[in-house]
Amino acid sequence: MAKTLGKSTLSALLVVGGHELRSRLRDGTAPLIALVAPILLATMFGLALGGDDDPPFKATIGVVDLDGGEFPASVQREALNTDELKGVLTFRQYPDEAAARGAVDGGESGAALVFPAGFSESVGAGRGGQVSVLESPESPLAGVVARSMVDRISALVEARTLAVRASLEAGVPADRVQLFVEENGAAGPALSLVGDPVSGGKVDLAVHYGAGMAVMFAFFVVGTTARSLLVERQNGTLDRMRAAPLPLWTALMGKSAVGFGLALVSMCATWLSSVLIFGASWGDPLGVFLLLLAHVFAATAIVMLVASRAKTDAQADGYTLGVAFVFAFLGGSIVPVYNLPEWLRSVSLITPNGWVSAGLSELAGTGAGPSAVLVPIAVVTGIGVVAGTLALLGFRKGRFA
Amino acid sequence: MTPALVCERLVKRYGDKTVVDRVGFHIDEGEAYGLLGPNGAGKTTTISMLVGLLRPDEGSVRVGGIDVDEDPVAAKRLIGYVPQEIALYPELTARENLRYFGRLHGLPRRELASRIGEVLDLVGLSGRGDDKVGTYSGGMKRRTNIAVALLHRPRLLILDEPTVGVDPQSRVAILDRVEALVGEGMSLLYTSHYMEEVERVCTRVGIIDQGRVVADGSKRELVAELGGTDRVELTLDGDVTAAAEKLRTVEGVSEAVVTGSSSIRLLVAGGRHLLPALLSAVGDTGAVTGVEVVEPDLEAAFLHLTGSTLRD
Ligand SMILES: Nc1ncnc2c1ncn2[C@@H]1O[C@H](COP(=O)(O)OP(=O)(O)OP(=O)(O)O)[C@@H](O)[C@H]1O
Ligand SMILES: [Mg+2]
Repeated sequence: MAKTLGKSTLSALLVVGGHELRSRLRDGTAPLIALVAPILLATMFGLALGGDDDPPFKATIGVVDLDGGEFPASVQREALNTDELKGVLTFRQYPDEAAARGAVDGGESGAALVFPAGFSESVGAGRGGQVSVLESPESPLAGVVARSMVDRISALVEARTLAVRASLEAGVPADRVQLFVEENGAAGPALSLVGDPVSGGKVDLAVHYGAGMAVMFAFFVVGTTARSLLVERQNGTLDRMRAAPLPLWTALMGKSAVGFGLALVSMCATWLSSVLIFGASWGDPLGVFLLLLAHVFAATAIVMLVASRAKTDAQADGYTLGVAFVFAFLGGSIVPVYNLPEWLRSVSLITPNGWVSAGLSELAGTGAGPSAVLVPIAVVTGIGVVAGTLALLGFRKGRFA
Repeated sequence: MTPALVCERLVKRYGDKTVVDRVGFHIDEGEAYGLLGPNGAGKTTTISMLVGLLRPDEGSVRVGGIDVDEDPVAAKRLIGYVPQEIALYPELTARENLRYFGRLHGLPRRELASRIGEVLDLVGLSGRGDDKVGTYSGGMKRRTNIAVALLHRPRLLILDEPTVGVDPQSRVAILDRVEALVGEGMSLLYTSHYMEEVERVCTRVGIIDQGRVVADGSKRELVAELGGTDRVELTLDGDVTAAAEKLRTVEGVSEAVVTGSSSIRLLVAGGRHLLPALLSAVGDTGAVTGVEVVEPDLEAAFLHLTGSTLRD
């Protein structure tokens, strides 16, 4: 019995899905959203942002070293040696803060770091210290680099301050601690900016924004399914499907599956055309595919959640549009995430867009394999599971499922 | 024998409004049951619960002995449901619509093709089966709407006002077909505003008003409740509202409702004898142009039970 039910349910899913797909093909939306639009998208971004003509990202950062100790020197040395910043970063020295401010405002340097007098000594003695940053709105990227360097420095300073204090507490003589810190300080603060948008300095902008748009577009593609679901509800054909001897969720799943499939085709079309036409590098194919797959799942679930709350097809359209744009914005597909205020940047973490973008940057930027993006894939899938569960509950509560 | 349908104490509330209030009735195997009620009485809401589209707040439904809440899939196999609103894909042909819904009912392809031919024949649309439903007239859409529910040869056919907007000729055709299906042993639940349809097709009738079944029985039983009361239809030129007002004061008149711009329906004990009193009661509020005394019928029973008319 269970087996025949399973079989008839499966065939009903196919019937519903087949019907949905045929009507998408009939009205021409399927080829448009699954193939034409994404290829156009990839082409536009490829032409506008892609290729080698782009000047590679460069930043000049001013340094005001009022300290003169080992610490500022080692920061610069290390920064110039990191993989992410090698060849990207140039340091320029200024005698004082005023000179640096002038240079930053004048565009000579993108940003500047100011090490206060006595910084190294203060850190060595366990008293901590603070480096400040001068920025200009004209060079946001340089500002980001400078700020992330300061973040790293602060973390180190804090760790050392704690270590020194602990050593002093433990009764180690102050001069020995000082010596020890200076010796080890020479090894330098290990600067690493991985995972920061700066590492996107090596990611093709066409890939970053093209992918971001594809990620957003996936919502629209699934949105056509949400719309058709609402239209069917208004036409009464959904009730007719629900009156058929099938589990209630069959209609919902059959239609969602088509939205899911079309969105997957659409994202892969952007990806493949960007790779095949423009030779863009998205990184490890399996990793990219799994990320896209997870995203399409999450997008389908989110759009269905939205549809479960909508009363008319126009409302479903509106909600989908809103969600897609807000998520794209928060996820860094429209403006870079680091341009957002701090609190919005953390909100970005609840959007699949943010995670997918980060994952794609990781793959494209570092050449890492699928294992490097397991966390984004898991998180995005998790977002999908949560949204999907809420959607099902919503549909059950209404007259839908 | 297991009844085709049993529902008990069905309740549906929207907010603090109870739109279906402890509705219960049963339909025997092969029986044709009519649910009569004015707009908003709760007919469609009740049916939605019977066919598993809406979960009742209280109460239970069994179709062919199967609890709809416990095993909706098995229960739905027995039901052919014709929704009140046309529920078809206008961009598809009748045949394509039928094929889709037939497949959802699990009909195998080969059998489906012959059944589609049969039901198109049955509703008199064989010649137009390959035209898009969007190009159909209202009556043709209605007939297609019915055809979809017949494909899987249900044991219980549920028709929610199937003849709205259908011309008299097609209506007769539809009723003939429905009667024939009942004759072949199909059980039927039929809702309508049209008293004469229910009188013709159904052997038992439930009268539903404001979410409650106020009476349930054969036509004869319902009419018998009227006692010696006749239905009198009065037409007049003048102020019908004022005339109805005056008529209500006449001894023996239990109901007097305005049914049109120049018509009033009355329930009158011993109708014929009271005619002179009625005419004088109308007095100067209008000139009576016609009087008809009708044998007790469902229309009269309905008025008696609900104090209102079916059609408004
Ligand atoms: N989803 C809903 N939300 C709120 N009220 C509803 C809802 N559905 C139905 N109702 C109300 O329930 C009552 C019964 O409606 P229903 O459609 O069952 O009446 P009906 O007897 O089928 O009327 P008609 O003859 O006009 O088709 C009406 O007052 C209607 O407004
Ligand atoms: Mg109704």
